[in-house]
Parts: sequence; C-alpha cells; structure tokens
Amino acid sequence: MGINRVFRKTIAGWINLKDILSPVLDKLKGLDASYAEIRTQENNNTFLTVRDGQVETVSSSIEKGAAIRVLARGAWGFSTTNSLAQSNLETAAKSALKMAKVAGQSVREPVKLAPVETVEDKARVEFEKDPRNVDISTKIKNLLNVDKSCFNFDKRIKSVTVNYADLATQQALATTEGTYIEQLKMFVWNYCWVTGKSKGAMASARDEIGAHGYELFTAEPPEKIAERVSRKVVQQLQAKTPKGGAFPAIIGTDIVGVLAHEALGHICEADLTLAGSALMGKLGQKIASEKVTIYDSALIPEGFGAIKYDDEGVLGQKSILIEDGTLVGLMHNRETAAKMNATPTGNARAQDFRYPPIIRMRNTCFEKGDYTFEELLEDVKYGYYLEAFRGGQANLDGTFTVGVQSAFEIVNGELGKPVRNIGISGNTLETLKQVDACGKDFDLEMGRCGKGQYMFESSGGPPLRVKSILVGGA
Amino acid sequence: MDYTELCEKVLRSAEKLGAKEVEALIVVRRAIGVEIERAEIKTCSDVMDSGLAVRTITNKKLGFAFTNILAQKEAEATVKRAVGASKASPKDENWKQLPEKHGYPTVRNTYDNKIAQFTSDEAVLLCQTMIKTAYDIDKRVLPAFGGAEVTISEGICLNNQGVKAEDKGTSLVCALGTMARSKTQVSPMCFEFKASRRYEPNPKWVATKAAGLAIDAINVGSAEAGRFPILLDQFALQSILTFTLVQSVRGDNVARGRSIFQNKVGKKVAGENLTIYDNGTLPGGLRSGKMDMEGVPRQKTPIIEEGILRGFLYNNYWARLEGKESTGNAGRGGGGLSLPPYGTIPNISPTNIQLKAGTFTEEELLEEAKNGYYVRNVQGAHQSNPETGEFSVALAPAWRIQQGKMTHAVKNVMIAGNVYDMLKQISALGKETRQVGTFIAPKVVISELNVITK
Repeated sequence: MGINRVFRKTIAGWINLKDILSPVLDKLKGLDASYAEIRTQENNNTFLTVRDGQVETVSSSIEKGAAIRVLARGAWGFSTTNSLAQSNLETAAKSALKMAKVAGQSVREPVKLAPVETVEDKARVEFEKDPRNVDISTKIKNLLNVDKSCFNFDKRIKSVTVNYADLATQQALATTEGTYIEQLKMFVWNYCWVTGKSKGAMASARDEIGAHGYELFTAEPPEKIAERVSRKVVQQLQAKTPKGGAFPAIIGTDIVGVLAHEALGHICEADLTLAGSALMGKLGQKIASEKVTIYDSALIPEGFGAIKYDDEGVLGQKSILIEDGTLVGLMHNRETAAKMNATPTGNARAQDFRYPPIIRMRNTCFEKGDYTFEELLEDVKYGYYLEAFRGGQANLDGTFTVGVQSAFEIVNGELGKPVRNIGISGNTLETLKQVDACGKDFDLEMGRCGKGQYMFESSGGPPLRVKSILVGGA
Repeated sequence: MDYTELCEKVLRSAEKLGAKEVEALIVVRRAIGVEIERAEIKTCSDVMDSGLAVRTITNKKLGFAFTNILAQKEAEATVKRAVGASKASPKDENWKQLPEKHGYPTVRNTYDNKIAQFTSDEAVLLCQTMIKTAYDIDKRVLPAFGGAEVTISEGICLNNQGVKAEDKGTSLVCALGTMARSKTQVSPMCFEFKASRRYEPNPKWVATKAAGLAIDAINVGSAEAGRFPILLDQFALQSILTFTLVQSVRGDNVARGRSIFQNKVGKKVAGENLTIYDNGTLPGGLRSGKMDMEGVPRQKTPIIEEGILRGFLYNNYWARLEGKESTGNAGRGGGGLSLPPYGTIPNISPTNIQLKAGTFTEEELLEEAKNGYYVRNVQGAHQSNPETGEFSVALAPAWRIQQGKMTHAVKNVMIAGNVYDMLKQISALGKETRQVGTFIAPKVVISELNVITK
C-alpha cells in the first residue's frame, strides 16, 4: 500500500502560517542556532463519558500552541507558548535558544542531525466522516446505546463505562532548513470497561477501538462493541485460576501486536537501544526464530500510527525491524540516525505542542505465516490460548510483560476452559526464539502507549505459537 | 491578566447565558528542567502551560469545556461551549450541587520561594553531579536517563455557590535511571529519585542509589519457584496497590459496585498491623495542598485502621450521591488520554496515602524474609484486576534472600497473588517510610506469595 492511499490532499482548511513562522526562524539562524523548528497546533477535541446509563461528561476543547526546539552548542533547548502571535513566538524562540546554550555548557558529544530532504507539503489523514460534522447528541446517543447493549447482553453485567474522544489537529511544522509541512490529523477513539458479578465472583473486561473518522461506528455498531466486551466478562466469571509456570501458548490476533510492541518494539527504538537496551550491538544478528518478521509502518492507512510525515518532517515509511529472525533495523529520529550512521525512519512524534518529539512506534506488526488456527492448536498438549490483552510493559533489559484479560486452556490440541486474568512475561532474546509457527489471519488493534508522553499507535499480526512463555498464576 | 478576575467574568457570562450553576478553574504550571540521556545533558526546557476549565449545570444537565488560552475572548467562547454541551446533555438525576463555601486549612511546606527563583543553570549543575557520581561509583554504570526539574503551579477555583479559593505550590525532582552491563548480563533499568516541595535536592544520594542498584542487578543467580516470603520495596508496593487497593477505595467505584469493599466499612479487611490514611494536608507532602481541584478543603481521611475498613475517598459529586461529605479528593486531568489538569471534570484521586510504619529495621526486615526475595520494583502492575485484586507481575529488579541476607539478583521471575489476601499477610513493616508516587510507606514483608520461574 503506497503513500497515495494513505493521504490525499485537499485545498480547504489550511492554516498557512509560513509567513509568520519563517521570520522567527530566520532570527534564530542569525543568533547561532544550528537548527530550529516550530511546530504549531490547533486542536479541536470532544470528550464524552457515559457510565451505567448516565452521561458523565460532555466536554469540548479548543487548544492552540507552539513548541519550539532549538539546537545550539550541540544540545537542545525547548520551550512552548500558547499564542501564535509573532511576538510571542519570538519570545519563546529566544527562551529555547537560551535553554540550548545552558544545556550545551558541558556537552562532550554534540548532537548532530542526519540530513533529510526539505519539503513543502500539505497532507491530511484519510477519513470518510469528519467527527466535527457529527452532532453532539448523535454521539451521546451512540454511547448510551453501547452502554445499554452491554447491560442487555447479560444480567450479570453490573457496571459499564464508555469513554469516547474525537481529536482533530491542524499542525504546521517549519524548520530553519526550509521545510514547511501542514498536516490534518484525526482520531476517533472508543474505550469501554465493563464489570460483571455472579455469586460473589467479579470480573471485568476492556475494549478499545479507533479510526480516523466517525465511520468507526459504521463498522462497529454499539451492539457489536457491547457483545464483544460483555462476552469476555461473562466468560471470565466462569473462569478458573491458571497454573503458574512456563507453558506453550498461542498468542491471539488481539494480543500479538502488544507482544510486538512490548517484547521488541521499545528496545528497537534507537534512543533506548543506545541507552543500553538488550539489543545494543545486535544489528545484523539472529535474535529470533526464522518464523519471525516484525515491522513498524506508517503506511497502514487505518492504523492509529498512520502518518505522512513525522514531527521532524521526515517522510513516514515501512521499517523492517526483524526479517526472518535477523535484527535488520531500528526506529530512528534524525539524532539517533546521525549517531548510528543510519537513515531517519520517520518515528519522531510528540503528544502535542507541550512536548518535544521523541522516537515512537507507529503501527508495529508481526508478519503473517501460513498456519490455520487449528494447525497452531494441533501440537499443543497442554498450554494456553491468550485471546485479549489488558496492557503491557517493557524494560530495557528485554523483560516484557503482557496482561491478558481473556484466555483459555489448550488440552491435547483443543481449546478447553477459560482461565482468569493471566499475566505473561519473558525476555525478548529468549521468547522470540520460541516462536515456532505463525497463523495466516491478521488483525490490527488501536492503542495508546506511554513513554513520558502519551501517543496513539496500533499494533497487530497473526496468531502465533510460542513454545514456552512464563505464565503468572497460582 | 488577573486570574481571579477572569474567573469572575466567566461566572457572570455563564449566568447570562442561563447557567444555574457555574464553576471556573484556572491552572497555571511552569516547569524548568534539564534532561539527561546517555550520560549527557541533552535538553533543557522551560515550559509554561495554563488553562481554563468551565463547568456549568442547568436543570441537572452538565456541560464542560476547556481552553489553554487565558484571554477574555477565548474564555467567553469556552463558556458558550460549556453551556452548549450542557444543553445537549441528558439530565443527571443524581446531580445535587457544586461545592459550597468552605474555610481552608493551612498546609505547611508546599511552596518555596527558592524553587520559584530556580534557574536552568542550577538544574544543569544538579544533573552534572548525578552523572559524575554515578560514573564514580562504577564505570560499568550508564546513567541512561534522568534529569532535574522544578515545577511552580497555581490553581484558582471559583463557583457561583460561594467557593473562591486559590493555592500555589512548588516541587523539585532529581531522578536517575541507570543500567549496568557485564560480559553476560544487562541490568534492568534501575531508578531512584528525590522529590520535595522545598529546595532540598540531593543529587549525590540519588545517583549513588541508582548506580548501586544497577551494579547489584548484574550479579545474577538462580531463582526457585514456589511459595516464599517477599520483601516489597516502596516502589513495588505502591505499584501493586495503586492499580488495585486505591481503585477499590474510590467512592465512585464503591457506589457503582466495582469495589470489593462495598458494604464492608467497619469490617476487618486487613491484618491488625495495617493502618492507612489519605492525608492531603501533610506538611511537605508531594500531593498536599489546601484545596482539591473543585475548591473543597483537603483533609486527612482514615481508610483502614488496625485492619478495619473505615471509609472511602470522595469528591463533591459522589459524596453527595452517597449522602456523605466530600473528602477533598477531587483530582483532574490525566485519564487514558493524559489530559492537562484543566482538561477534565473532577475525578477521585488520592493525595498522600500514608501507610503507618512498623518497628522493623532493614536488617530485621531481611531476617523476616529469611529465605525469600527482595523486590525493588515490578513490571506489569497496571495490568492487575482492580475488582478482584488478582495480579501477576514480573520482578525488575529483584534479589534472592537467603538466611536473611541478599545474595544475588534474579531474572525472569514473576510473582502472582491477590492483593486483598496480601493485606492480611503482612508479617512485618519497616520503621522508615518514604514517599513514592501517592504512597508514603515503609518496606513490608508479605509472609508468602507465589513465585513463578522458568
């Protein structure tokens, strides 16, 4: 899938700030800044929360701000302002320059940036239904329907929270190198947390979905969302506690992306690799079974990590991280690319104008294989099928954890009884060698990731089989 | 711009648009900080963020809007959007009213002029000290990430039911994450910090601790599966309890039947050695202040006393719904999308959760954990199930304890159990406490937890 499918250009709605931003940048150039960028944003956001049939929040916001980053004396200075007036931008720019000089006092190895082509472009993410054109009462009604459908699904459902947000961002990026890019970004996000009770037992499940437009709810009508999440709650109410220990597992499509993200993705972020992650010095080496190919791509249009340019103006692309078991690439910003003699990959992203861009994943996935689900099951005598996740976390030494909210036993090649609330853990360099088969289905999950800043991203892949993984249980 | 005056104007214009009740909240926050990356001072930043939140209620219909631009025109537009949202919103039959006028406590040591005057040059010095100290401990240590940062914040809350209050605070944090490498081992990230409301930096202590942990963490040996006593450090303890216990003492979760503690006030829910308060007025507490995020005074609230459940945390809405008084625990912001503090309606947030210290010295704690594990931090606690208390987490970093002594680090180990059972199985509490996140707690020994290894 090419870039043309991801983005199309429109004429209307551009903010045209080049004439305001350029003079500010020109002044910085005259004041010994070796590089500077201004990233402005105007955000129009709507937030809704419904709980137990009651509307809790109807919220809307308008935000405006600029982030200014200056490189001088080999270090970064950063400042922000909530005004896009030229005089305020100049004040903030001077502050950022001053900060860079302060930080640069004791630099041993000055920050350098890998060269990129300068661009002038305007792009918008692809969507069909602009959420800003959907009436607020329609959105409220939709959420109340999700809530009601959960309660209708089963009388054991006792509590439902549904969070909704649509976020529209008009962004402009201008650099001292001459790049000027405007982008319209759009996210529609829906998150449910449902709790059930039965004979003293309690259980809960979560459901998170998203798209770039309000067409999300054409594909995901309230009943479908409600059934998916409520079914998990009811199933968990009947589930038993798993045995703890190392077991074979089939990682389902709802959860395989989290594995890609936590077990490999984070330590492939070049800032973390350089900081001494388990992958330091491992480029070109075989670190996984040959069944494993993992990539991080900006070019999956429906993914939350679809971008045409990153927040340093680098063109988004598909970056292969592991190919047939060999570590072939990392995710870079311009700084780490320069340090490691690599090419920037378009992974520099910032939560909003309050933050500088850092290396973030986009859409991180395992490549498909050719096993049917039944074939994956076949060879497992006793193990677990992990169906849906609750969260994940990674550590620089390669230790990862994934919380599992719904799972089943596998007994003699067949799915058995549901088990409760599992956590799995492993170490990247060991676990990826344990992958012995990949399925032929594929799914992409929308999510968020925290790395000091929050970021929308997505991850996915086929169901896959791991010979041994640590399962936390009784 | 006078913030109180701007809030007054917001109240008047909302009333003009027909709002029965209206609240204006302004939060202003400035952060000056220096970041360390790979033993280098990498970035210095000076970030100012401010915003206005407007809540309106008419005929039990709630509306909310916010902006980050503190100017009259934007404030007026925000009022209009809040009133518009309220009109679109269905009635909330449970709505009673906004908080009323209150007196406020005096809370000491939450603001320090010396921090308000802090410069980025001082932050650079603190960071240089941390980097040098870590290297001096051992050359195998890489001070990978960290920094020094001050924040100066101010909050103003007015409503047309009589609340008119402001509060300001400062804080200073020095933090360092280190890693160590040997020929065969990479340590997990080992983290230490010192945070205070007054100017009390201690960069040497932070770096010494962080570097020492990393070096100790590459001395890896074998781990044994089974049921063992576990000595939990404050980092691990707060991590596990934040996603379970704290959720279950939130008044909204109790009212909605999402807490295991529903109908259990006055009953025994923990061992007799466990006493927990939420103390929002603790002098110098990292989350202390005179008012919460809707203008209700902060207070000290008993949660568990000698094992008996005493009560829950409330904001105005949930307290009134339950026929109780707010405990001054309204927080704002955050949530799944990491919104700024002026970006949401009030939620229920703990302030400083004090877990009463015991009598055990460090040596006695190790002695108590005799043949078990010392867990400095855990990974994956946010994946716990708050309703049931079930958790299973990886240990990083953690050490084996044998015959009352820490012997070697362990890897690829998980512990699993149930938090609500664990509260009854605390066999020892340390006599020293420290604040990590919302918790001010001692180290504790859990008499037995399930340890899972490969």
